[in-house]
Amino acid sequence: MSRYRKIFNRVLPAIFLVLFLSNNVDSYAADGKALFKANCASCHKVNEKFAGPALKGWKDRVPGGDWIYKWIANPADQKDPYATKLMAEYKPTIMTPFPQLKKEEVDAILKYVDDWVPDTPVTTPGAQPEGSNDSLLFGILTLVLALIAFILLQVNSNLRKLSDEKEGVLRTEPVPFYRNKTYLMAGILALFLVGGYYTINGAVGLGRQQNYQPEQPIFYSHKVHAGTNQINCLYCHGGAQDSKQASIPSVNVCMNCHKSIDKYAGPDKLIREDGTPVDGTAEIQKLYAYAGWDPTTKSYKPDSNGDGVPDGASPIQWAKVHNLPDHVYFNHSQHVKVGKQQCQTCHGNIQEMPEVYQFANLSMGWCVNCHRETKVDFYNKDDASGNKFYSIYEKFHNDIKNHKMDSVTVEKIGGTECQKCHY
Amino acid sequence: MKKTAIIATLVLSTAVVFISCDSKRQPGKVYMPDMAYSRAYESYALRDSNIFTTNPADAGHKIFYNSLPPAGTVRRGDMLPFNVPNDSAGLAMTAQMQNPLPPATGRDLEEAGRLFNINCAICHGAKGESNGPLAEKVGGVKNIITASPKFSDGHLFFVMTYGQNNMGSYASQLSREQRWRIVQYIRTLEPKTEAAPAATAAAAPKADSAAVKK
Repeated sequence: MSRYRKIFNRVLPAIFLVLFLSNNVDSYAADGKALFKANCASCHKVNEKFAGPALKGWKDRVPGGDWIYKWIANPADQKDPYATKLMAEYKPTIMTPFPQLKKEEVDAILKYVDDWVPDTPVTTPGAQPEGSNDSLLFGILTLVLALIAFILLQVNSNLRKLSDEKEGVLRTEPVPFYRNKTYLMAGILALFLVGGYYTINGAVGLGRQQNYQPEQPIFYSHKVHAGTNQINCLYCHGGAQDSKQASIPSVNVCMNCHKSIDKYAGPDKLIREDGTPVDGTAEIQKLYAYAGWDPTTKSYKPDSNGDGVPDGASPIQWAKVHNLPDHVYFNHSQHVKVGKQQCQTCHGNIQEMPEVYQFANLSMGWCVNCHRETKVDFYNKDDASGNKFYSIYEKFHNDIKNHKMDSVTVEKIGGTECQKCHY
Repeated sequence: MKKTAIIATLVLSTAVVFISCDSKRQPGKVYMPDMAYSRAYESYALRDSNIFTTNPADAGHKIFYNSLPPAGTVRRGDMLPFNVPNDSAGLAMTAQMQNPLPPATGRDLEEAGRLFNINCAICHGAKGESNGPLAEKVGGVKNIITASPKFSDGHLFFVMTYGQNNMGSYASQLSREQRWRIVQYIRTLEPKTEAAPAATAAAAPKADSAAVKK
């Protein structure tokens, strides 16, 4: 029995270590890319001259020091030779000042620009199989090694049996390996651990819908709309800044542009998740059917039954991707408007998804973790910056003044209280 | 020994059951459906057509509900409706219409600018020069800065509310106050006609500030 215990004591911590390491949660840092998209992309491209200069290689062109921060905060006030040259080159356009961008945000944008590499035309599932291939390789290696060890053990016991027979030592007939208690115990232990791991993971995942990617009635590519065409998320999902729901746009919002855009001729190839190509123009025709729009006459069909919508028009029944259980309250405006969170923080890089899938697992641990780490835009009495609502937190203001704390997280102002989300 | 084998088989088979439920196209199962799925009707949820109707004629024996506020109601805190018909006569009525809002403060303008960049700049461009990312694809996008000085506030509001040519209505995306604020923001984008002589003539700044006050 002590042998089992020894094995057990050695193997178990190792297994836990492996599980722990492999289970590390990917943290999603507030990135320069999103900031670039939100602030710079309307005038700058990384690699090409657009309304403003290409940003790649900025370091070699601009004067050193903190010139770049000063320029971004207030371009019109820079009078040095390089600034005058820039302004002359792009006359009459002068760059929009961005005094609201903090130094670290500018750094994040510049880092994104520096690290940027042109998109290679590879289909999206690139990184994922790479990782699983590795683990498959390791798995096979482990199996091969285990098999070798097993064969060697068998050889060893056979050799011992032979030498015992030669020397005339009488020994009991060794039990075959499938009845050997050590092997059986090790096998059961391995099964138990592997089975337990998957059982627990499955049980934890039950009710969570990470990677849920429903098929939508129209192949609507967020990559084309929000990525290539740079339409702001809030253009269609305006409810996110005013209400609990992010709101799915009604058909008239689609028709704002699709009245005139009736063909798909974009640079991105539309490909479904299973690899079948999609005819973008046919998908736009589907939209016209829902909207009751006649593309030949370029007008809405008449409303003969007087219900206020063109004949044959009906709402599009989009499949909801992100579902929270009924016992959780979540409010979009609280996060988007007050907390100033980027959509991508929770929804992932939507602007790169041809078909939207659920990026985060939306578990409670995930919510709470963010509430613990996120700092609120705390009101600063000295320079009157920050959200004035937080001026009521007297104690925290005193603590900050006395240098007991340097920032206030969402948790500190009650962001992890049960009743905030469950009531 | 037999017992451990049975336990192992059970654990494995449960694991197989959990894993086999995993499909990207299906939303998956939940532990307690009565706590996960709302009994109350959530936004956008499909309503049971045996109970609910959107046809006013069926209102007697079914529940009539079409998510629209009753005609003539004004949301609390919202501005009064824009009672100008959507036709050329209506457009003519706006020729002298003034912006009903008080002059915008810095914060209002900032917010209006944000909304402009989200909703308008996609075609009209951040400066209103009809160079937004979609301008070429949509086609016929008007250069706001050269066009708007000729039009009254009411005319701009009318266009935002009902749309014009290729432009759709933004009444469902922007509230009446937001639209009037954007009108004020567009005015700040317009080139200051008085600004050019201001550099040479000393009297010009006075006229400029008077114009702003108006």
